[in-house]
Amino acid sequence: MSDRHQRTIAFTLNGRRVRASVATHETILEVLQRDFGLFGARESCGQGLCGCCTVLVDGTAVSGCLYLAAFVDDADIVTVEGLSRGAELHPIQRAFVEKTGFQCGFCTPGVILMTKELLGRYPHPTDEEIRHYLSGNLCRCAAYPDIIEAVKRAAELMDPATLTNPGPRRHGDTET
Amino acid sequence: MNRFELVEPATLDEAVALLDPDDSAVRAVAGATALILMMKARLFRPSRLVSLRRLQGTLRGVHDEPAGGLRIGALTTLTDLERSDRVRAAAPVVSRALRTLSNVRVRNVATLGGHLAHGDPHMDLPPILMTLGARVRVVSRRGDRWIEMQDLVRGYYVTSIANDELIADVHLPAQPADAHTWYEKFTALSADDWPTVGVAVWYRTGAGRITDARLAVGAATERPMRLAAAEASLIGAAADPASFARAADAAADAIEPLADIRGSAAYKREMVRVHVRRALDKGR
Ligand SMILES: Cc1cc2nc3c(=O)[nH]c(=O)nc-3n(C[C@H](O)[C@H](O)[C@H](O)COP(=O)(O)OP(=O)(O)OC[C@H]3O[C@@H](n4cnc5c(N)ncnc54)[C@H](O)[C@@H]3O)c2cc1C
Repeated sequence: MSDRHQRTIAFTLNGRRVRASVATHETILEVLQRDFGLFGARESCGQGLCGCCTVLVDGTAVSGCLYLAAFVDDADIVTVEGLSRGAELHPIQRAFVEKTGFQCGFCTPGVILMTKELLGRYPHPTDEEIRHYLSGNLCRCAAYPDIIEAVKRAAELMDPATLTNPGPRRHGDTET
Repeated sequence: MNRFELVEPATLDEAVALLDPDDSAVRAVAGATALILMMKARLFRPSRLVSLRRLQGTLRGVHDEPAGGLRIGALTTLTDLERSDRVRAAAPVVSRALRTLSNVRVRNVATLGGHLAHGDPHMDLPPILMTLGARVRVVSRRGDRWIEMQDLVRGYYVTSIANDELIADVHLPAQPADAHTWYEKFTALSADDWPTVGVAVWYRTGAGRITDARLAVGAATERPMRLAAAEASLIGAAADPASFARAADAAADAIEPLADIRGSAAYKREMVRVHVRRALDKGR
């Protein structure tokens, strides 16, 4: 294997600077799984249609199965594993648990990352905006109504000003 | 996917110098969304890919042209295009079509240049850009030249862009205030699926009559194309259901439909008939 086909890339992965040696034809999805043991982004259709392999590149959602690893050199990559802070789930993750926005959970990492991009752009999305953003995230269990409720709940949890129901108490919360 | 050399030039001059006029296994890559699918399916086995991503500074963005109209850089993503206020003001038909073109993730990465150079007859934007009178500027070591949008795609995955040429930008002329435009995308599976049939229309009216008309179909024939007979049937006619039905028949008669997994040739012909009528009507 000549080095024309191989290169070392450096990028930020879930907040940590990392390096990887990748073949030019490998996708970021393959590298996340092989070199970093991250399986939250997983291949399902392999054609950019289903959303299960979603990762954020510089804050933008992409299909990991259609994104060359060589293109993430210098980029900031976030996978679903990078959302929680230790044991504390990200508000979007809490909302999905609270509203049971899933059944089997296979598509959930992709749906959650897509929701992250959506709420970054539209903090209070309409149903239409939610459907528009998530139209490329297929849920074979068809948990769609619960997913939409979960996205709305996530929008509330991420904006304390609109929070009417703070939700179940979490581990570590203090009694007031 | 096979192994290939990946080069990432920093300037357009370097990029065109890395292409090879005689070797189609050397190709440009922009977002790679279409190329990766072709490589996974082993329909394309590159020896070298010339990545354009380091040229984003010069070839990305939507700009006003001094003489009117817009210049859109080839590396502008479909998401940038979808969100561009300039595009929405100049050609809302484009902004609207982008909302169901693939999905957010693909649009975040896919570029206008890659969309146009791919040559797949099922793409949504080529028929629309044909009716808007868009032109594409391609560059090579030999200089630049213009290609009218309607001459860009020559056959099934065949374009008039040479091996050593790159699309630099797309020019969208200013549209007359009385232009009626519409793109009717008919999908047989999900709403944002590839079109089974796409119909773009553009026409002008004066004193209740159609004074000028352009009509193009995508996804139904071996390449996106304007349909001269349907256009001619509209000129001088009233903008009413009877004229629209006549144009729809002319369109359905003119095409040689190509079957695919979304419909047989006979079905596509009927869907062209239905959607030409609807597009003309909705453009009103
Ligand atoms: C899941 C999915 C769904 C899709 N659905 C739709 C749909 O509904 N409607 C639709 O219209 N399209 C659809 N597409 C296609 C999509 O529009 C194209 O994949 C995309 O526009 C290609 O752009 P790219 O930048 O990724 O091109 P690339 O994959 O990088 O390149 C594509 C081709 O263009 C060439 N190229 C790239 N840039 C240039 C340039 N500047 N000059 C010359 N040649 C160049 C490459 O050499 C290659 O031949 C879909 C794609 C996917 C993956």
